[in-house]
Amino acid sequence: MIDVFSQLKLQAGKSLGTLCLDPQNASPGPFVLGNGDFFIEIPVAYGCSYSDLTLTGANGTAMPEASELIDKAIETGVESRMCTALKVACYYLEAGLVRKPDLIITSSSCCDAMDTLGNLLNGYKPWADVPKFRMDAPHSFDEASYRYMGKQLRDAVTFMEDVVGRKMEWARLREVCVLSNKQDQLLLEFQELKKAVPCPANPDFSRLGFAYDRWTGERVSPQITDWLEQLVSATEERVKAGLGIEGVHEKVRFLWQDLAGSWPPGLLWGRLQQELGAIAIMDYMSYGTLTPIDLSSEEAMFTSFGKRFLLEDPMNRQALHTTDLFCNDILQIVNDFKCDAVIMPAHIGHRDTNSRLKVVRDMCREKGIPCMVLGIDIWDKRYMSPETAFDRIKTFFETTGLI
Amino acid sequence: MKSGLTSDSFEKFAAIAGSIMNPSVQKCKDGGGKVLGYTCSFVPEELFIAAGMLPVRIRGTGCLSADRANDYFTPENSCSLIRHTFNNVLTGAYNFLDGAVIGGGCDGNRHILDNWEKSPAKIAFLDRLFIPHASNELTAEFFLGQLSGLKSRIEGYFGVTITDEKVWSAIRLCNEVRALQRELYALRLGANPPITGSETVAVIVAGSSMPKEEYRDDLKKLIGELQEVHVPEKKYSARIMIVGPGHDDTSMSDIVEELGGLVVNDLTCFGGKVIFGSVKEDGSDPLKALADYQVLTRPLCPKNLNAHPVIIKELIDKIKEFKVDGVIGQIFLCCETWGGEIFILNKELRDAGIPLLRIEREYHADSSGQLRTRVQAFIETISGGAL
Repeated sequence: MIDVFSQLKLQAGKSLGTLCLDPQNASPGPFVLGNGDFFIEIPVAYGCSYSDLTLTGANGTAMPEASELIDKAIETGVESRMCTALKVACYYLEAGLVRKPDLIITSSSCCDAMDTLGNLLNGYKPWADVPKFRMDAPHSFDEASYRYMGKQLRDAVTFMEDVVGRKMEWARLREVCVLSNKQDQLLLEFQELKKAVPCPANPDFSRLGFAYDRWTGERVSPQITDWLEQLVSATEERVKAGLGIEGVHEKVRFLWQDLAGSWPPGLLWGRLQQELGAIAIMDYMSYGTLTPIDLSSEEAMFTSFGKRFLLEDPMNRQALHTTDLFCNDILQIVNDFKCDAVIMPAHIGHRDTNSRLKVVRDMCREKGIPCMVLGIDIWDKRYMSPETAFDRIKTFFETTGLI
Repeated sequence: MKSGLTSDSFEKFAAIAGSIMNPSVQKCKDGGGKVLGYTCSFVPEELFIAAGMLPVRIRGTGCLSADRANDYFTPENSCSLIRHTFNNVLTGAYNFLDGAVIGGGCDGNRHILDNWEKSPAKIAFLDRLFIPHASNELTAEFFLGQLSGLKSRIEGYFGVTITDEKVWSAIRLCNEVRALQRELYALRLGANPPITGSETVAVIVAGSSMPKEEYRDDLKKLIGELQEVHVPEKKYSARIMIVGPGHDDTSMSDIVEELGGLVVNDLTCFGGKVIFGSVKEDGSDPLKALADYQVLTRPLCPKNLNAHPVIIKELIDKIKEFKVDGVIGQIFLCCETWGGEIFILNKELRDAGIPLLRIEREYHADSSGQLRTRVQAFIETISGGAL
């Protein structure tokens, strides 16, 4: 009989798998295309589809023909060392493989490469007639910045209304936000449960839940709430019973301070769990710091969105913010989740992380936290294969006495 | 490359552009003056001048190897300009600074600040200024708030008062300098200009490391001399415009001009972008005038989501006005911001029938034989035959 965790994984995987195969976003309704995160609550409440071209590019690298796709992306001639996911996104666009949107909403976002994609979208000649809206994400983190970002998001709604010719139903947006708050709370509950030793469930459910909740056709739907409730409930039972991950003898808990990438999780994290008892207890997409959307007024709601965008969205938090916050998050995670080590994958496309490695290494040395830097392309396994990464991590754990 | 220009003013500019510390900065320090460094052309020097300080733009000049900076910025995927610039900070070349404001335009710039704060080269006043990435009234208003905050922090830390009148005075001075710099650029409109592209780069770069009044006076003198000088007839094989990020040394222009071409204009972070337009002098709030200038008048950084139409217009205008034969789009390795922009420009210029050579290079260009070969082939192609 299939256990509840396997069922949940299958359910979310099915939905995410569909997303991977859908670079053209065939969802009904007005089609909004962007270069990065946009508040899913807004398109969901408005009844339009939203596609993030960065995500589409990242998904492309998980496809069977990824190598060929990446090679074609390199041949487009965009900056040679740009993040591979972004290069693939550029290729999709330049090759005419992306469905023409009804609106384009771009934002300066967590990295230069995503902004470059935004500029390519805005400058794409075949879509010169598509109405465009641009948002400026400041690298500052105070109430004024949140209000500024919130106001731009509010203006984006007005822009959508003007182009589509239909008003936002504010009661519906509130309803979606209530549901979203509930789902975020459940994700945070699961995160809390991961602190237990041994870890009661595959920690990758955080990432899976986040992706399922934010990126799929079911986003912010009661179906997601149900999925998350089942996840939390099943995990709570295992914590009460003092059980760890089924079939895993936990020996090492580590922080993977980057995205998981498009390697099938089994190729690296699965092997580390099964063969070494080493668990990627947290990664930076999974680390949730979301505060509830303030529903007390329309302005408060949008200021909350602004705060989420600038401070709480996982990628923006890790990339846009200061090195101090980046390091504080690492220490917080290491303490809260009882990590034995920090692994910095140092994805070749993440300029931000790669500009912080010395500071992170120095901090870890000072605090006595074993830390290793890999240097991989999380979207292209030819750069460093999962097998090589496994061997290097294994050696690191051996030399630091963790296994 | 030199035009044969003999001028004390030019020699002074060339010496200042080729070094970090210079006699003008030393004189300021010796007289008890404060020097405030900055990165990114969107940090308004006017604010520093109004605070009674000497603004000095932080550069990679003279750095042949970024060994020390490579500890902080991995060389495989960090911007070459940023690494060389930060290396100068780490080696103590900027120890004379009393403070620095880092303009967070691109990722690399932002991390200069973070790494500087954690490095042995840390200085007491290190601040950041967020550079906006869109061009509209709301963004200009937000940037005004950022400038206001920076002004307060400078006042608080250094114990100075930045009055509106001082800011207006600095705006007038900097506008005057920009107008003179545009006048200098205009000298290359003709077929046989009295100054080369390399020499112009040196003059403009020097302007970011000198007291503005002194620079203005020297520049006026130089322009006067250049307008009077008899220029021997010289035939250039191609008129080139350079577009791309910080162009704080003359190496690329040198290559073009040593191969028989002439750099007649540029749109770079140390050149054409710096001298673009003027700050309005007739408002009620000088900080608002500065914010509007940076956000609304000259959104010329491709990090800005509104920049491309402005960049392409400026480029096409200058190509026509300066009779440009071809454009060199140069990107420092790992500069995604300009990498994407050159990618777009390449297509648009091709459609417009304007040749573009895309070069992705390390900060230092002068030692690369391969680069020379590519530039030579480009010049030969657009000039219609072998040189």
